[in-house]
Amino acid sequence: MTISRRHLTQGTLGGLLAMPFIRPAFAQERTITLAAYGGIFQENYQAVVVDPFMRAHPGIKVTYFAMPNSAQTLGTIRAQKAAPQLDVAMFDITIGKAATDEGLLDPLTPAEFPVLADLAPSAFAPGVNSVGVTFDSLSLLYSPETVKPAPTSWRVLWDPAYSGKIAITAAPDIVGIGMTLVANRLFGGTDYKDFSRGVQALADLSPHVLSWDPKPDAYTFITNGTAQLGVGWNARGQLYSRQSAGKLGAALPEEGSLFQINTLGLVKGAPQSEAAKAFIAYALSPVAQAAFAERMFYAPVNTKAQVSAEALSATAASPERMGKMLAVDWLEVAKFRNQLNEQWRRRILTRS
Amino acid sequence: MGRFGLLPLLVLPAVAVNLLTFLWPMLNLAGLSFREGMPGGGIGTDFTMATWRDLLADEFYLEILLRSVGVSLTITGFALLAGYPLAFFVHRSDARWRNLLVVACISPLLISAVVRTYGWLVILGDRGFAPSLLRGIGIDPPRLVFNMTGVIIGLVEILMPYMILSLLAGFGKLNQTLEEAAASLGAPPLTVFWRIVLPLTLPGILLGCLLTFVLTISSFITPKLLGGGRVLLLATEIYDNAIVTLNWPLAAALSLIALGVFGAAMVVYGRIARAAERAIA
Repeated sequence: MTISRRHLTQGTLGGLLAMPFIRPAFAQERTITLAAYGGIFQENYQAVVVDPFMRAHPGIKVTYFAMPNSAQTLGTIRAQKAAPQLDVAMFDITIGKAATDEGLLDPLTPAEFPVLADLAPSAFAPGVNSVGVTFDSLSLLYSPETVKPAPTSWRVLWDPAYSGKIAITAAPDIVGIGMTLVANRLFGGTDYKDFSRGVQALADLSPHVLSWDPKPDAYTFITNGTAQLGVGWNARGQLYSRQSAGKLGAALPEEGSLFQINTLGLVKGAPQSEAAKAFIAYALSPVAQAAFAERMFYAPVNTKAQVSAEALSATAASPERMGKMLAVDWLEVAKFRNQLNEQWRRRILTRS
Repeated sequence: MGRFGLLPLLVLPAVAVNLLTFLWPMLNLAGLSFREGMPGGGIGTDFTMATWRDLLADEFYLEILLRSVGVSLTITGFALLAGYPLAFFVHRSDARWRNLLVVACISPLLISAVVRTYGWLVILGDRGFAPSLLRGIGIDPPRLVFNMTGVIIGLVEILMPYMILSLLAGFGKLNQTLEEAAASLGAPPLTVFWRIVLPLTLPGILLGCLLTFVLTISSFITPKLLGGGRVLLLATEIYDNAIVTLNWPLAAALSLIALGVFGAAMVVYGRIARAAERAIA
């Protein structure tokens, strides 16, 4: 066949159109996909951890895949087991255990990750391949305009003055689970595995709760005046309270609270395993840990992270608060989570 | 080809699509309900009756089923009470206005149910329009949202367009001369309505009720948003088990129960519709 001018033009044009897709292949750029929480978490994690990582590693591009919660991240990895699309995943430690049990995660070894030696012991759990990356704690959310003086105790939730003004996300959400354990200790329970007092306390509270399922979340309910008291995560609470111009406060009650651990896992059979490992090492490094703690008040897992006293005092990781924290082994909680969830549905939610 | 000619051949593509996109997933769902749900969302690989056994032995789910059916019937009833006069008015209005009124009745469908639900949150909320109005006339307002009341109010409004459309479609047999004849024979208006209008509009009523009932029992966004986590229904349980606790076998089993409810609704509808037709004829 002869090559006409028309063929030539078409070929050139086609080549030009395809250019953007050909270029990355030449540049040997590697793209990893990180699945982690969306919304305000994504906004800040992208800014102080993901973007600096990409600047430090020009050959690696990180795509942030926003997930609404840990369970859905697990569902996604499970669905992709045969052909993983995600490289790194963030979820709470109980989901990390489930993912490990199902063989979805590769272990992180000290040989490959020297940074592991600097992490707090509670960042690790036996039989869990993912490793702690941030600590957060439950905190009491309140509206500074209507709840005066600022509350210092969880007991304010049971104060009749705030009946019908309370927003808490119920179990199976981990806020509801955690609050049961906090209430259990508050009302005389000595062992969190026997949570009957916590269930009873929340059942008594139920008629006074405005919503057990605040949408989009309890922080918004208080900020827009729908509710006056609530329970939420400290990091988000602290950040929102600084952005809300006095509409939302986050208190760390004197009775203490409990920690929740977010972990990072390396997906087994990840398409870009090496680049993914570089990202995990960076996310656990003192620089990234400190930056995220300063920005969003998540307590760092890396003990060498240099966090300002001001940021640290907004977390439950300050030394005077650490002693009051309820020590919870989340893997133990995972064992009775279904049972607790049933109690919630039968005894707490349906009572009004 | 026989009596129907090419007809079976023409139906074939639709049948194939239905088999592939409806029946096959349904069979998969049925299969899934015979697996075991592990803590943390794992799914067992062995055949087991455990999910069904636990589900059927648990009064909690019976309560949820009864509550779902009860709530759906209540909402259907309110939607009928609110929609019937409207549909009747539209049907009887001048031909010039009728199309405009029909569009006005169904225009809420142009806005997503989620947005309308959020609208109800504002209207029914503590400082919203409805409680303020009640306070204004000296009534201490009960809690109107984040409970069953809110769910019923929201769903009735959201599903009313479907009810009105079905009613209008069924009003075709209505003939004003019959009413005039009855009135001229001395029937008071209520008797005319009871003996003439109602029987003639029954097909529309039945269709509207079936549609509203099925849509209510399968809706989960509005109950989740307006129910404040307290209104546990079949659809919200399926959602929670499928998305939050990842107990897919239980979600599958509950979905099949919901399917059974739909089937029962169809059977009841068919029976009443046939009986009504015989009664009118």
